[in-house]
Amino acid sequence: MNQKITRRRLAAAAFLPAATLRAAQTKPAGPPEDLNTTAQEQLRKNSEALGKATLPMSTEPAFSFKA
Amino acid sequence: MAEFTDDIFFATITELNAKLRAKEFSAYELVRAFAQRLERLGPRYNALALPLTAAAIRRARDVDKELKRERYRGQLQGIPFGAKDLLSYAGQLTTWGARPYAAQVFDETATVLEKLEKTGSVLIGKLAMVELAGGGGYSSAGASLFGPGINPWDRTRWSGGSSSGSGSAVAAGLVPFALGSETNGSILTPAAFCGVTGLRPTYGLVSRHGAMPLSWTMDKIGPLCHSAEDCALVLEVISGSDAKDPGSARKSFYYTPQFYRKPKDLRIGYAPVDFAEWAQPSARPAFEQALAAIRETGAQLIETKLPDLPYREATSTIILSEGVSVFETLISSGQVDQLADPHQIAGLKTALDIPARDYLKAMRIRTIVQQKVRSMFGELDILLSPSRFGPASKISEPINRGRSPNEPTPANPGLSALTPAGNLAGLPALSLPCGFADGMPVAIQLVGPAFSENLLLAMGKEFQTRTDWHRKRPKVT
Repeated sequence: MNQKITRRRLAAAAFLPAATLRAAQTKPAGPPEDLNTTAQEQLRKNSEALGKATLPMSTEPAFSFKA
Repeated sequence: MAEFTDDIFFATITELNAKLRAKEFSAYELVRAFAQRLERLGPRYNALALPLTAAAIRRARDVDKELKRERYRGQLQGIPFGAKDLLSYAGQLTTWGARPYAAQVFDETATVLEKLEKTGSVLIGKLAMVELAGGGGYSSAGASLFGPGINPWDRTRWSGGSSSGSGSAVAAGLVPFALGSETNGSILTPAAFCGVTGLRPTYGLVSRHGAMPLSWTMDKIGPLCHSAEDCALVLEVISGSDAKDPGSARKSFYYTPQFYRKPKDLRIGYAPVDFAEWAQPSARPAFEQALAAIRETGAQLIETKLPDLPYREATSTIILSEGVSVFETLISSGQVDQLADPHQIAGLKTALDIPARDYLKAMRIRTIVQQKVRSMFGELDILLSPSRFGPASKISEPINRGRSPNEPTPANPGLSALTPAGNLAGLPALSLPCGFADGMPVAIQLVGPAFSENLLLAMGKEFQTRTDWHRKRPKVT
């Protein structure tokens, strides 16, 4: 799929609904450090939970989801 | 000129089609009435991403010409609809609900939208969504370029995510049906919170070409409607093989409820603990009534539970791993900081460090999930649980606030992880409104084996002939 952003299309963004523009006017800052720590902690917990699952060596990753 | 009352705005597709055929109104009149209503009321619920009124009215006039020549293309002909803003529509903005993509325009139209247009259905607007479908893990209803999705049943509550606008627009009678998408609960949640019927199709049954990718192995496109039968009519059109979608199962769907087994011949697995302990106290009476209605169909309810596996952790690991691969440029360029939800920003940045072994372990666990769930369907036809354990949260509250400290987590997991398990296994699910709690809709979900949509929809239709929860309307002004 071709994705193009041209000046003309950028101008089209000016026609976004008012709610969009309101939301876009306030640029949020990046996440505070403690959120990064929380996210890292969540990944660690995920990893730990996955690690507890016992899998036979023959279990291959899922690559077909058709049935 | 026909008068458009709430009876029209909340009518099912079948009812609207009958009125079109009877010439009670033209497609032009119907499309114009819905498009104007969506433009007027959509912003009230932060549901509207982009109105497409002028183009829709032109298309509706073409449909009328076809109808005049008696060129019938099916029940969706002349029926207006909305689509989640993660589906591309050539030449129009497709923002994915996220500020970094606010000016994004594609040259191609998503396969599902092309299919609907071919049948004469008319797209009247793009609908709001949670930014990037919430792939980084979001914490608040405000995680969207369009502001928090507002619930038509109570404007202080969230409409659910990530197909927020799809849920609220159908619930408020702004569109007869909408398309949403689900990677892990994004159709079921807004359908349940807004009191509409939502269908998550089997992975691969509906083309994702032209849809924002979040997780290539888990993304699905599906309808949100006023009834199970409407979901069937939409699925019949949008399903089918698509060479442009590598995940396509190359299967089609034909709605044939007449050939499906009677409810009395069905074995439905459920876990009483889901309804009695996992469910929030205010929702338990509604869920008990829903169980009673299912029993009244004659179906056999059999106690069951999911095998003990890390469903949520595997789901989260897969979505984050695939999602950061999709959005690597967004993250490395720093544009990710423009997202509205700080948790989502942190989630995406941090997920760059997920080791390959964790992703592969999650995908191997997924293989086990598929095997175990398939074996459950050896003895059961359908799995049943609440779609969500309670009604929509307040917009001002964190969306994953968890259980009250007064309520310990039940020891028996029951089918409480049915949503991540069903998504991991690529299974279809149907969410059906089943009552109210705290004045807000709640819903049950039916999950079946892969490609069992006809079975789920037949059971859903049976449930909806015995109940009228799907017919309830919020006050929309």
